[in-house]
Amino acid sequence: MENKAPLSPHIQIYKWHISSLVSITHRITGIINIIGITFICLLVSLLILGENNYEMINLFLSSMIGKFIILGLTWSFSFQILSEIRHLIMDLGYGFDLKITKITGLIVITGSIVLTVVFYLIGKNFF
Amino acid sequence: MVQINLPQNSEVKKGKYFKDKTGSKNLRRINIYRWDPSSGENPRVDTYEVDMDNCPSKVLDILNKIKNEIDPTLAYRRSCAHGVCGSCAMNIGGKNGLACTTPHKEINGDIDIYPLPHLKVKKDLIGDLDGLYKQYQSIEPWLKSNSKSQTKEIIQSKEDRAKLDGAYECIMCACCSTSCPSYWWNGDKYLGPAVLLQAYRWIIDSRDEERQVRLKKVADELKLYRCHTILNCTSACPKGLNPAKAIAEIKKMLATANI
Repeated sequence: MENKAPLSPHIQIYKWHISSLVSITHRITGIINIIGITFICLLVSLLILGENNYEMINLFLSSMIGKFIILGLTWSFSFQILSEIRHLIMDLGYGFDLKITKITGLIVITGSIVLTVVFYLIGKNFF
Repeated sequence: MVQINLPQNSEVKKGKYFKDKTGSKNLRRINIYRWDPSSGENPRVDTYEVDMDNCPSKVLDILNKIKNEIDPTLAYRRSCAHGVCGSCAMNIGGKNGLACTTPHKEINGDIDIYPLPHLKVKKDLIGDLDGLYKQYQSIEPWLKSNSKSQTKEIIQSKEDRAKLDGAYECIMCACCSTSCPSYWWNGDKYLGPAVLLQAYRWIIDSRDEERQVRLKKVADELKLYRCHTILNCTSACPKGLNPAKAIAEIKKMLATANI
């Protein structure tokens, strides 16, 4: 009895590497950023409509969810910028050595967290 | 299209367990993907206990040992056993590689062995590479020189010859292409790292006269630009080549070329 040939497992079994992780996160943060920018534009246009809206937005952004969204967007933007720089360098044909991709990948990941903290502290008037 | 889940007939079930019969103390569990086209059942993962005291150093040696001593029904491709033919390409411990050059010492714990990812399985560890070979044919991987004599040697400078290093060594084992998520989702249109590396090899060959034609042919949103520098290909290549860099070089050539 002939069976239709199965598809061999792919993403279920393939090990993640730093480069593949950075690549997929780059895409995800890209989508998040588009939604984030739309969201920010929405808030800004609400501000134009009156003082009541300001109170409401202020209340929302100082709630736990609001703070999470702000921090999340800060990280997402930081990651996207650093990863985009990495991609630009790669488009020029540099940084394809396996070791270097690992290092630049790690720089992107840790850098995005560091940048998030820095932006947070700037927001808190720490500097 | 992105299809994360496996189709229903491809879901992997738990298989048989082959207990060790040698009484060895140095045992290792090997999980191997099995599918028998004559059974009509779903694929399964069989587990073998292998005596590592009497087993040479490479993963292929384990497979040979299983086939010779434990379960002769196991099917896999192998030929040279020296990393030259590319037959024994498979997914070992979550990473594509040649079974004959991958030392089993480098893998911790149980060893999972699957066929190359996202291929139609023919039997057990044998995947169907027809699509890849057709794509390879489509880039016309042979020298095209019309003006020069067919009987006379075409001289190449040392510098021009050096450009081929890192491209001509490819053994077409398909480790890179089948490691690439872009190739998983768009394998019917995207050429994939293995074929693009070969396309690059002919584009930069100084003796070839159809450079522009080759470039134009490969310059396609789906054929070439589905590479998003995920770099699974480069980390999978058992010959230490860099298909991702070759693809980037093709993109660079296209960005600066007048076509």
